[in-house]
Amino acid sequence: MNLKISALEFVDEVKNGNISAEDFVSATIDRIKDVDEKLHAFLQVNSKAVEQAREVDKKIKSGEKVGGCFGMPISIKDNICIKHSKTTCASKMLENFVAPYDATVISKLKQQDAIFVGKANLDEFAMGLTTEFSAYGPSRNPWNTDYVPGGSSGGSAVSVSAFECIASLGSDTGGSVRNPASFCSTVGYKPTYGLISRYGLISYANSIEQIGPITRTVKDTAFLLNILAGLDPNDNTTIDNGKKDYLSGIDSGIEGKKIGIIQEMMGDGIDSSVLSATNDAISKLEGLGAVCEETSIDMVKYSVASYYTIAATEAGSNLARYDNLRYGYDFPVEGFEFNSYISKARTKFGPEVIRRMILGGFVPSSGHAGKYFLKALKVKSKLTKEVTEAFKKYDYLVAPTVPILPFKIGEKIDDPIALFLVDINTVMSNLTGIPSISVPYAISNGLPIGMQLLSKQNEDKSLLKAAHALETTVKLPEVPI
Amino acid sequence: MVTEEEIEQVSKLMKIDVHDHKEFVEKVHDMINFFDILDSAGVEDEEVTMSDLPLSSLREDKHIPFEDKLIEKLNNYKGSFVRAPKMV
Repeated sequence: MNLKISALEFVDEVKNGNISAEDFVSATIDRIKDVDEKLHAFLQVNSKAVEQAREVDKKIKSGEKVGGCFGMPISIKDNICIKHSKTTCASKMLENFVAPYDATVISKLKQQDAIFVGKANLDEFAMGLTTEFSAYGPSRNPWNTDYVPGGSSGGSAVSVSAFECIASLGSDTGGSVRNPASFCSTVGYKPTYGLISRYGLISYANSIEQIGPITRTVKDTAFLLNILAGLDPNDNTTIDNGKKDYLSGIDSGIEGKKIGIIQEMMGDGIDSSVLSATNDAISKLEGLGAVCEETSIDMVKYSVASYYTIAATEAGSNLARYDNLRYGYDFPVEGFEFNSYISKARTKFGPEVIRRMILGGFVPSSGHAGKYFLKALKVKSKLTKEVTEAFKKYDYLVAPTVPILPFKIGEKIDDPIALFLVDINTVMSNLTGIPSISVPYAISNGLPIGMQLLSKQNEDKSLLKAAHALETTVKLPEVPI
Repeated sequence: MVTEEEIEQVSKLMKIDVHDHKEFVEKVHDMINFFDILDSAGVEDEEVTMSDLPLSSLREDKHIPFEDKLIEKLNNYKGSFVRAPKMV
């Protein structure tokens, strides 16, 4: 069984009777058994996946209406709720939490007969960018298992890259879909804020995070977006996308389009091979008929500090519910003083979550809010204005997704500031709400480099066209696992 | 420049036990100091923009029946009552 096919190829093959969903899902589960001990992409594997795929085959054979996914095996980041299955957020705090309902994205995929093969690893509560902060141990990069796969949706990207599923859903608060997509050589998409419902996503920083697909090709992302996008009464930040078809016209190219190259994302600290790949990508975009020129977005310099201030503040509020009274784990309660009981229960949080909770309490607190939180919001406003101005001139912006190559597991874990700076090219689209996509572009010393394209809000369809055009210019080697 | 004592005080208010966790406090201290870069952004006169959410955009406030009995998922309940922790 060829597990390396794209989502669209899978649909065609099953539709035409060349393969059965059951055989494909069964081979996928075997693949997970073969490689996941080494990669640790999954926190749980769905033991009923093959049986569920068999049900889809029965529907096909009996001529019943079948959903557009035709039994496609998909992994789900373990901070998205699937009814009656564990949703741990890679935290000991939620070790035995079983979700009582489906996230909207899950309901939509179920309606389309997708098969969930398992829950993917992540940094605890999605706080991190290497997957090293998972309470259940890190995922490993399939391109070189000594290296981080990126994060926080690291398990999702690994599972797609290593053929343990066809596609995955992650969540992106500051780059958590695009960063691991870049590090693992997959496509990673952060849609316009509000395009995909967050209902059933365990909250980290509500005002900036989005669920996004991780796939093998840009067309697969468009395919999933057709299923996932649109208004949801359970998430009042969702927007009406007019039922756009993101696949139609995706091949129409970028002839005559104007692209701005963000200078602040290619400055100090950029790896020479990433810089060289970016310059090459710019030449390719020009070769496709686009006009590229340098542009400046001054607030990018302050965006990481603004992002972490805002994200930590929202996280401090969101994580308050993990007090063992509302959410938590079995822990004897008798005899404790109220505050000390909660403090004691919270020792189950990992170090990064504790750090960010403290930050989240500190930066908006009385006497400090003006210096940190208010200024962070002002930077966000000014950055949004600058980005809006840039899009008056350009159709798209371009920059490497991450300015450095994947690094070794353990290399940066004790240096939070070094980790902060890895996010410099991705946080802008979260702070401003614009869509952005990471496209696999190059391999340097056996490690992947992703290229990031961005467009203005609600131009997701146009952005996918540009990303597809760029994707067609490269042919990358296969993952060596 | 913030002090480690200030961080410890906020941790206490957040009900997070950082006693014997000096390295947490030091790292949080470094992180907060990194945020000092916001002072040089020159945004003092910038207005904070907020998006409005009209009441008409909120979902209807009505009871939606839930098929599962959520109370049965709890460890300590009797009938329709949940046993609350006894704390002093």
